[in-house]
Amino acid sequence: MKYFLFLIVLCTFIAVGCAHSPRPTSTAQPSAKSSPQLVMVASNAEQIPLQSTDTQDKSKSGSATDNQDLDYTNDAFGEERVEIADPLEPFNRAMHQFNDKLYFWALKPVAQEYNKVVPEDARVSVRNLFSNLGFPARFLSCLLQADFSGAATEFGRFTINTVWGIGGLLDPSSNKELDLQKQDTDLGQTLGVYGVGQGFYIVWPIFGPSSPRDSINPVGDFFLYPVSYITPWYASWGVRGYEEVNNTSLRIGDYESLKDAAIDPYVALRDAYVQYRLKKVKARRAKLEPSKPQGENSTTADPVLPKKEL
Amino acid sequence: MKRQLAGLSILVLFLFSLPVYAGAPLNTTQVNVNKVLDVLRDPKLKSESAKETKKQKLRSIYKGMFNEIEFSRRTLARNWSKLNTAQQEEFIQLFEQVLEKAYIDKILSYTNEKIDFYKESVNSETQAEVQTKVITSSKEIPIFYRLILKDGAWKVYDVVVENVSLVQNYRTQFNDILAKNTPEQLLEILRKKVKAQ
Repeated sequence: MKYFLFLIVLCTFIAVGCAHSPRPTSTAQPSAKSSPQLVMVASNAEQIPLQSTDTQDKSKSGSATDNQDLDYTNDAFGEERVEIADPLEPFNRAMHQFNDKLYFWALKPVAQEYNKVVPEDARVSVRNLFSNLGFPARFLSCLLQADFSGAATEFGRFTINTVWGIGGLLDPSSNKELDLQKQDTDLGQTLGVYGVGQGFYIVWPIFGPSSPRDSINPVGDFFLYPVSYITPWYASWGVRGYEEVNNTSLRIGDYESLKDAAIDPYVALRDAYVQYRLKKVKARRAKLEPSKPQGENSTTADPVLPKKEL
Repeated sequence: MKRQLAGLSILVLFLFSLPVYAGAPLNTTQVNVNKVLDVLRDPKLKSESAKETKKQKLRSIYKGMFNEIEFSRRTLARNWSKLNTAQQEEFIQLFEQVLEKAYIDKILSYTNEKIDFYKESVNSETQAEVQTKVITSSKEIPIFYRLILKDGAWKVYDVVVENVSLVQNYRTQFNDILAKNTPEQLLEILRKKVKAQ
């Protein structure tokens, strides 16, 4: 019976065409900015002779005259227009500058010195330890998403890593035999899964890129992250600071390369943040509804996509 | 009996459907990435003085691996048609240099990380995504290559690092710049960027 069902699913899958055929629905996301006279959708008739004749001088014809749909809305990867409203841009840019300086003047030098003293294995262990302490927020997020298997995985991980992993310094759960992988989720994503959009972009000092929706994470951490309960308050902040230094020490160079490669680092970081968060929410949705074909996610009107600019 | 029949038909389906794609996108990517790794691991090129030779070799691999026109066109999207032909050509050149200067050191600093090519998804007849991850001692970095089939060859037109599409990231930036500036000013910004790097 199982085989039979599988066969049907397989046949449907193949008949439908693996991913999805270019569907007119994916174009049904007109951006407010798009100027229709510039969107040139070439008919197939125009395209075919072009492709057959441009054998040698491909670069010329490809760059100048090949006017296919430049919006790429019919793309196989129909997720192209990810934008976020940025009404606070002047404030955000100022905060971006502040965080940039904070990184280059304080965090990075400290992390570099720390790198020299502490070997990488130890730093990975410390990261595991803090990550293990992040269990309550992940567990709660899984529960709120009705992802009970995820919640169970998190619970198992926390128990095993705390007991057998020396309080979380080691991560025995994610090895091949147990294969309990960390549930990559948080409260902001949980809201996203339920269709709450990002709203607009905010750069918080110290915390960095965020949005009204994702700002629930630092707020949630205040209650759910055990380190927040350390007294006095400055000890708690000290531990958080140390955690940040340790995490930074393992990814020195990432921010630099993003910044170096960017034409406008502020916009690049904003876009990277939005893309990153959106895909995470999508990944969670895909996990929660595995029966749903993947193409569906990207083509239907996605409430997380803040297309209507405020 | 039914089971066997089902099993058999699945097998037949696979036999018929697999050769169509033949894993070409994944193979192409893997071959190219391995070429890059060969250059990076080449003991003859280990010295500091061989850096330029290495860069030269990487450049030629890049040319064979990427479709730079598609790359540029996609980053500009509908702004592409605002540039005249000469500007488009210059843009392709400048954009390539920006990318090279931004990423070459990162690539050259490669120290025997493992690269796992684990999945290929063909999303349409001419587009595919190859999913890889770079495994370092402290983390795994997912890197997806998006390929397009043009003139019989699969070439990369977008790289997605940790869920962030490069094309999309630059598109947002160029959109932002071109909303306030002319194409000529954009080129000027790029020229300055290339010089400053």
